[in-house]
Amino acid sequence: MAARIVAARVGDVVDGEAIVVSKAVTGTVDDIALFLDDGEYYALDNTCSHELASLADGWIERGVVECPTHTGRFCLRDGRVLSAPATEDVAAHQVHVDGEEIVIVPNPVRLATP
Amino acid sequence: MNTGIGSVVIVGGGLAGHTLADALRGRGFAGRITLIEREPAVYDRPPLSKAALAEDFALENIAFATTSQLEQKSIQVLTGRTVVGLDGGAQLDDGTIVTGDALVLATGGRARTLPFTGHDAPLVHTLRTFDDAVRIRRHARAGCHVLVVGAGLIGAELTSSLRNRGARVTLIDPVEIPLVPAAGEAFARLLHAMHADNGAEVRVGTVREVIAGSPGEAVLDDGTRLSVDAVVVGAGILPNVELARSAGLPVEDGIIVDHEHRVIDGIYAIGDVARTRGHDGELRRRHEHWEAAQLDALELAAILVGDEPEPRGAAWWWSDRYGVHVEGVGQMTGNGETVMRGNQAAFHLVGDQLVGAVSLDDPMTVRAARRLIDQHIPVSAAVLADPSVPLRSLLRAAR
Repeated sequence: MAARIVAARVGDVVDGEAIVVSKAVTGTVDDIALFLDDGEYYALDNTCSHELASLADGWIERGVVECPTHTGRFCLRDGRVLSAPATEDVAAHQVHVDGEEIVIVPNPVRLATP
Repeated sequence: MNTGIGSVVIVGGGLAGHTLADALRGRGFAGRITLIEREPAVYDRPPLSKAALAEDFALENIAFATTSQLEQKSIQVLTGRTVVGLDGGAQLDDGTIVTGDALVLATGGRARTLPFTGHDAPLVHTLRTFDDAVRIRRHARAGCHVLVVGAGLIGAELTSSLRNRGARVTLIDPVEIPLVPAAGEAFARLLHAMHADNGAEVRVGTVREVIAGSPGEAVLDDGTRLSVDAVVVGAGILPNVELARSAGLPVEDGIIVDHEHRVIDGIYAIGDVARTRGHDGELRRRHEHWEAAQLDALELAAILVGDEPEPRGAAWWWSDRYGVHVEGVGQMTGNGETVMRGNQAAFHLVGDQLVGAVSLDDPMTVRAARRLIDQHIPVSAAVLADPSVPLRSLLRAAR
């Protein structure tokens, strides 16, 4: 069964911003960025696929995160790369709100091998 | 709208050329796309003055796409091929002619050389291609003395990277403080001072002569003689207009295009090589920035499939050096007042309108600023100067 990670509580993430959920908590190979954009939560691997940068520090707008260093853009829903200089997608994770809890179900292909 | 364009041939696989191919597919263009590049790969250039100067950095690391990604998108890429003429299509150096309904010139630029005596000596380099970066790497090892000529973005980043390699660097520029128009005086000063803080010797002046040898010698305009292992000139680019000129297309320090990137019917030019003639008939400056090339390509992709291009906002740029990420948008000089926000950011204001911003390790402030500029949201100097007010909140308040 897929892991169910309580990543945050409602109110922890400000709309238009993101928090970093440590890979120590999620059990994944990369930290996970938990975004709140226009009332919707999204979760992606936190490290930009271009160079080292934290996507949680990026500009979040209309379903897209723009990397804080070189403006590579990724779709918040599926992690698809939308513009250069990034050329590779980042992994997306399932996320849903359960009462007061924001729950991430990590993408199985991104789980760290114990 | 159907524009009747069923195939596109793109000459040049730098940022503009590759972005166009990719964006055409993104907009559902199903016709043939052929991208012709004389280099061995289609790749991104900004890392050449930074990451690519690390010893083990490979060309694949900066390729825009893998072969399989390009195949998946059905983008035919001909690398290592030069276009020698435009009669009846793009004539390749092997005699092949590639035809298309739209021919796009994205030939970019080449590094400008300076006319000092000995400018063509083997120890004098420029930086524009991956091979250039590899050559500089070979000649600028730890302990070597490198003279960097020009302290603009390339020269400054190169100096930082070479210091990181353990080379001794002398950086010379005719201007005491470069980058003032983009970064504003205060930040330009701060950025330029980082070179000396990081052990580079910074000089104001020009090079009179370079004498080959191992080590060689550089003679500066004030008569100073420096023993040097390598000289790297970062003096901007010259647009690659020769192909267009030989085809009889309009050329004047760039290939002349209208506001829709059209040179003549069926032929377009984008990126560093293109120069726009405005509605008023005046020739604009060429934009030699990364994002300008990207936006040219995105606009042309829209136009070629009959979509409306997105409006373009204030110009954005960035630079990475000495572990610091700098970015800016718009203009930091001219009419108006400059407002400092601690040491992290500066703004340029005309009345209640923001016209420019620059930041050090605070990119989100510039990302917010560019939206404030583009949406003409009124701001006050007092609010901008207060680091406790996140700029993004000004955008939200305006909604």
